[in-house]
Amino acid sequence: MDKPSHLSVIVDLSPTQWAFCAQSTAPPGLPLQTFLSQLLAFLNAHIACKDENTLAVFGAFPGQSVMLYSSTGEAMTSTTEATDPNTYRPFKTLDSTVMSSIAERFNSYDVTEEEEPIGLVGCLTKALCYINRTISVVSASAQGTEGATRSIDPRILVLSVSPDQSSTYIPIMNSIFSAQKLKVTIDVCKVFGADNVFLQQAAHLTGGAYVQIERTDALLQYMMMSFLPPPAIRQLISVPTQDRVDFRAACFCHKRIVEIGFVCSVCLSIFCQPVPVCSTCRTKFPIKTLQRLNASRPLATTPSTPGTPRPLTQKNGAALPRPG
Amino acid sequence: MVGPSIRIKPAGESSKASTVDGGETSHRLIGFLLSQPQSTMNRLYQKPSSCLSIFRLLQPLERQVVMNLLWLETPIPGATMAAWVTREGKRPYQEALSTLQSLHILPQQSTRPGPPQSVKHNLNPTFKASLRQAITGGGTSGSFGILAENDDKHPAPDIEALDAFALERWETILYYMVSSGTGQFPAKPSQGVLYLLQRSGLMATVHGATLQITSAGFQFLLHPPHEQLWELLLQYLQMAEERQMDLVEVLSFLLMLSTTELGKVGIHTIQFIAQVTQALPHAQSYSTENLSATQKAMLEDLRDYGLIRQRTATSRKFSPTRLATTLTSSSPPLPTSAGTGDGSHVQGFIVLETNYRLYAYTDNPLQIAVLNLFVTLKYRFPNLVVGQITRDSVKKALANGITADQIISYLITHAHPQMRKNKPLLPVTVQDQIRLWELERNRVKSQEGYLYTAFASHADYEWVLDYAKKLGVVLWENPSKRCFFGSVEGHMNIRGYIERRSAGNA
Amino acid sequence: MKAIRGVLLTCDSAVKQILLTMNEKGSFIIEDLDDNHLVIKADEEYRVRRELEAELEKNTYSLE
Repeated sequence: MDKPSHLSVIVDLSPTQWAFCAQSTAPPGLPLQTFLSQLLAFLNAHIACKDENTLAVFGAFPGQSVMLYSSTGEAMTSTTEATDPNTYRPFKTLDSTVMSSIAERFNSYDVTEEEEPIGLVGCLTKALCYINRTISVVSASAQGTEGATRSIDPRILVLSVSPDQSSTYIPIMNSIFSAQKLKVTIDVCKVFGADNVFLQQAAHLTGGAYVQIERTDALLQYMMMSFLPPPAIRQLISVPTQDRVDFRAACFCHKRIVEIGFVCSVCLSIFCQPVPVCSTCRTKFPIKTLQRLNASRPLATTPSTPGTPRPLTQKNGAALPRPG
Repeated sequence: MVGPSIRIKPAGESSKASTVDGGETSHRLIGFLLSQPQSTMNRLYQKPSSCLSIFRLLQPLERQVVMNLLWLETPIPGATMAAWVTREGKRPYQEALSTLQSLHILPQQSTRPGPPQSVKHNLNPTFKASLRQAITGGGTSGSFGILAENDDKHPAPDIEALDAFALERWETILYYMVSSGTGQFPAKPSQGVLYLLQRSGLMATVHGATLQITSAGFQFLLHPPHEQLWELLLQYLQMAEERQMDLVEVLSFLLMLSTTELGKVGIHTIQFIAQVTQALPHAQSYSTENLSATQKAMLEDLRDYGLIRQRTATSRKFSPTRLATTLTSSSPPLPTSAGTGDGSHVQGFIVLETNYRLYAYTDNPLQIAVLNLFVTLKYRFPNLVVGQITRDSVKKALANGITADQIISYLITHAHPQMRKNKPLLPVTVQDQIRLWELERNRVKSQEGYLYTAFASHADYEWVLDYAKKLGVVLWENPSKRCFFGSVEGHMNIRGYIERRSAGNA
Repeated sequence: MKAIRGVLLTCDSAVKQILLTMNEKGSFIIEDLDDNHLVIKADEEYRVRRELEAELEKNTYSLE
């Protein structure tokens, strides 16, 4: 029961979105500085719970995904460490490493350039790879307690401020499936902005908590109650889950989020309009079906897209996400 | 599409309902702390490091309750907290609350009558302030130990040397215990350690002079190192008051040690130790300057147990060893058992076959001596000892007070990785036979007492028997023979009762 | 009514039979209560246990 747990935290660090968040008045905004100090308190609390608890922090920057800290020491960048008898040393190391690497990235940005979409998917996959490696290391050295094959309870916590990028639908779904396979719980904390459809599905499908922060001044309390308890404790003290999940998927052809789509009967690829040939598996559909489908299409075809739909420029890979 | 709304999962909806933390026993130190008065605990909670260490020793659910309350400024109604608890969590949750209250982390609820909804939860203000400070850093408590400045003339010992030191000290103690009374005279631990062993009942003087291991001592040898360490430290705490040492200072020093660091990086699994030791060959030393007089006096004792190392007795620096830094964690407190040094011993070294033959890949005298407690050793090779579990060897162990379960659990914890492929891990025949040998010893149970017989009438018999039953001293009864057997403790009462009655009748 | 000081032995019936046989050599049993219970003289307990141990040992097969 009292076994160590692993937590990978993914922090959305889009400068633009954080600027919006800090200026927001309704709901009251949250400056990045305050957010980071609360985040550090939360990370320290995770380490405080058990000496063997492990932690990795990933930063999703515009067009980049970076490992900011890991308790196994891969991402040690800060060496200038003052001796402070008032602070538990692992906390000190964690805090200074995370803060200095974030500051380093932020200073290198060119303000005039247009911001690229944040590297959320990169972070997710890096976190999953890291967890996969940790699990294999632990099970390879399976020693001590008898029959304990999985001695860590891995979790991923996504702290998001950016809106959905519809182009990332397929990679996010694939990450979700890998997470399910690895038995990783994905928790999502939406600190600012509208609900995030894909992340909602991620939390739902992996049995994690999804919390939309309503009062930013209580962020730390939200995190402590919803994201600190490891899966074993969640059986005793429940965490908020979603009442309704937005299961909409993005089409493979234009990356639009669709309410009604057309699914290839062979490979289950999703399209926003009937197509004669499936772009994924190259199955040809009979012309009659095509006509019938076109006839039955609803008249209002303007799709609701949070992101900017981009025209299809390349053929999709063989990725086969099954919607919902 | 409708946006999702947060809701709290209703009770009983949780996905898996199997593992509930009911049977888990709390840490030994928590048991000790439960018996301490509120004033002691409040003084202890003034140090952030003590709060952090105690927090780590709590059960997972208790930790979560503390964390939920830690960042709240105002008390929270009990009903609000309870709404988060699932149905199967109700009982563990109540237990967690009452443990926290006994530890004075939550204030005791006033006994005034009122609906349970009016109960409000808030952490003990001292504990809250200290734990907050521990997690957010800052303050001026200096409770996490002051690092000594680097000294080129006497650099801090490297981790390997520290591990070797801790191991040597610890094994000296255990080896002394196990070989007492066997005619060998291994290195003697210090006088302080001997006194501690005697006080804790692990060893006792026989025939005036020589110290001999007791049956509690034999059982102690088979415990995992972590438990052994705490067993001795708890005894040390109990002695502290007699020696007019301030219990709070002693405790907070031990807890401070548990938050100190061996190297600069937290070491989590054995895999990383190698990397870390290569990168950072030098361990941390701490300065003794800020310690109180009591704590300075403790340095000597802790040095004897192998928890810390000092270059000389008067050195102003000390380096905590792995024994100390893992006090509040469950990582192995001792690096590897001495000997081959390739780390394979951590994994276990015992192979047991269905024909009761036992192969132990070790040349560590302590491990061999411990095995010798319940195994007939036959051959000895440079890295291997071969023995046989026999009826005689097990009977000898049983006579020393070791139980069959302890033997079996020792074999399981030290089983060779090769054995771990087996399911079940130990051959069932051997396990069962060890248990049978234990049962064989207990074929006759004896209880001293009095046989009450020859009652004048059945009513008389019933009368006395009822009274004896109320006292709970009846060991055996037979109404048709009109007699019963009562224990010694009840005899005076029963006799008095009969006398009073016959006096009344007369 | 009378009260007799003694030791209550709780054992299996096989052991009880051995004890009964031993009793024929030197009497120590105060009362034979039932299949599993006997009351014996308190000061004889140590001797009885030792003799019983020796008796049971005869019935044990050992490899050595």
